[in-house]
Amino acid sequence: MSTPGELFVVGMSWRTAPVAIRERLAFREEELANAIKQLCVDPAHEALLISTCNRVEIYGVGGPGATTAVKARLAANRGVPLGEVEHALYAHHGDGAIRHVFKVAAALDSLVLGEAQILGQLKAAWATAVAAGVSGPLLGRCLERAFGAAKRVRHETAIARGAANVSTVAVDLAHKVFGDLRGKRVLVVGAGKMSTLAARHLRRAGVDEIVVTNRSPERAERLADEIDGVARPWADLEAELAKADVVLSSTGAREPILTAAMFKRVTKARRWRPIVIVDIAVPRDAEPGIAERDGVYLFDIDDLERVVAANMAERAKAAEHAQHIVHHEAQQFERWLGQQRVVPTIRALREHFTHVAEAEVARTLELLHRKEHDPAARDQAIQRLGQLLVAKLLHQPQMALKDTDEAAVDTRIEAAVALFGLDLSRFQPSADPADALPDVDVAIEHAKREAK
Amino acid sequence: MILPTDLTDAPARALTVAPSPAFWLALVLYAAAALAFVFAAAGRAKAATAARWLLAGAVAAHGVDIGWRGVLHVHPAQSVREALGLTAWLFAGGYLAAASRFRLDLAGGVVAPVALGILAAARLTPAGTDPTGLGTLGRIHIMMAVVGVSLFAVASALAAIYLLQERSFKKKRLDTLAWKSGGAPLESLDRLANRLVLVGFPIFTVAMVLGVIWVQQRHASFGRPEYPLALVTWVSFAALLATRVAYGWRGRRSARLTLLGFATAMLVLTIYLVRRVLAG
Repeated sequence: MSTPGELFVVGMSWRTAPVAIRERLAFREEELANAIKQLCVDPAHEALLISTCNRVEIYGVGGPGATTAVKARLAANRGVPLGEVEHALYAHHGDGAIRHVFKVAAALDSLVLGEAQILGQLKAAWATAVAAGVSGPLLGRCLERAFGAAKRVRHETAIARGAANVSTVAVDLAHKVFGDLRGKRVLVVGAGKMSTLAARHLRRAGVDEIVVTNRSPERAERLADEIDGVARPWADLEAELAKADVVLSSTGAREPILTAAMFKRVTKARRWRPIVIVDIAVPRDAEPGIAERDGVYLFDIDDLERVVAANMAERAKAAEHAQHIVHHEAQQFERWLGQQRVVPTIRALREHFTHVAEAEVARTLELLHRKEHDPAARDQAIQRLGQLLVAKLLHQPQMALKDTDEAAVDTRIEAAVALFGLDLSRFQPSADPADALPDVDVAIEHAKREAK
Repeated sequence: MILPTDLTDAPARALTVAPSPAFWLALVLYAAAALAFVFAAAGRAKAATAARWLLAGAVAAHGVDIGWRGVLHVHPAQSVREALGLTAWLFAGGYLAAASRFRLDLAGGVVAPVALGILAAARLTPAGTDPTGLGTLGRIHIMMAVVGVSLFAVASALAAIYLLQERSFKKKRLDTLAWKSGGAPLESLDRLANRLVLVGFPIFTVAMVLGVIWVQQRHASFGRPEYPLALVTWVSFAALLATRVAYGWRGRRSARLTLLGFATAMLVLTIYLVRRVLAG
């Protein structure tokens, strides 16, 4: 019987290696399919390769030596001397590997706690493994459960709640004021990189109209093209402010552009409709005084950083609950896996018993046909069938109980009691030859002879 | 609105009857819901769901109680006590309807105890004497005032949440209690509260007019404190709607006017109740 391999993982992440090492072992996306085939050759029967900016990991199924071999193969594949990267590589087997993949999928091992990308990356890596023909049932089942646990974590804890970086905070803020962002208008003032990024996030969140304005009309046009918006002349700034719901400002101006005097006119023209102003510029584009007007919500770069910090603190708090969920789900999977180990034994046992029974029943049936008119012989034949089945099926267990060394006797007795649900209290060991067991082989011979 | 038929032939109305088991159940469920909302505010996600179900159960039990009293000839608009009970029911029911659209768990922490308080005040105070001269007109006046004030009550709950959330949002604090459980979008709260006032205002206006006619019919004095207070309520909501149309006032200003109008309306009801209890 071949021993089924264990799940293992070999890899490095932001926890164990600086980017200088991670980049040496990283794979480009188009390399993944070939690399996985090279890395997975026996002893790893199943394999999965994931390479992101924060981790490179190989999951597989194999015997005890598998991780060492995979480490060497990984280094060789990347053309890096193993000695230079080995200290950053970790390896987990069995339950440890299971827990690791569950944690990774739930983004509990991510640099940004609770980030949503890792789950997609794992799913893509699995698709690659399937396409490359190196996927397998154990890894597949494990990932399926890990994805399920990750889903639970996202639903039941606050780990993925609240923007985790400055460019997505604008979306969060807009949601808090407006709810649905469809039909809302975003005004991008200036052409800073961060506000461009924020505008993209807002577009993805459902914003319909994005208007760009800049002192330089060419730059406004270029940015508008880039984010699928409309460019407006700089002179229209005040009119645009009256129409916008969200303003992303990041000009290089030395003096404030969104002044209190301007907002006195703007808020009236807006009829006090709320407006969210995200000022990412340093020095600031908006005079702090405008925030005092009703319906004006102003956030500068420090505010955004503070919001992100508060969100991350909330995520860290939620991580504790998430750990519990992941631990529980991983344990469930380990238990299931344990149950799977006995399945082959049960199958073999059934097959063996069925063989014995089928052969004897067939023989008895034949006898019954021949003795059609002899009721006494028929009764006898059925009785003999019962005896024969008992004798044959007990032959091997009896031999195993008797022919073992002294040390193993107790374990075998215990096994027999547990397997057959025996009550030994009525049976005492005896030296009386009359109590001696009939030899099984003799009994079988006897039964056979009678059958003839 | 269905006008009650002439009441001269109607069976004699009971002033009050013993509380039904549904009433006690409603009290317990309102209290349990209030407690669960407090736990929800403390950050227990499961408590929020439980609180909503408990409140729904309380509203259902309360509805059964009102129906039961109707069967025993206690009209929901025949006295201040009954009217208050109905107000609490409409208030809690209206909140539930609003909460099915937005996350208003924080408001639930106010709505459940307030509904509990009003219901207890309505039923556990002495019954007093049978109000004389309560004809069809009085009944319609009470009924419409109850519906109007209940709509204002739900609008006020939303306005209160709006003010809490808005203040911390303005201060750029998103980790406060107001936003912790997610909160509801400011604009949605404002819009929904405004719509409730828009529906409640004409109903309340008719109730006011009927009230004036009723007082005149009885040749009673207009010199009671509740009448100017009721006028303040009316003026607050009228101002709210007028400024919104004329100047686009909304948000904080509208929310404050809503709370002012509702506070005076509650004061009027309290004066009525106290007078009725004292009269008893």
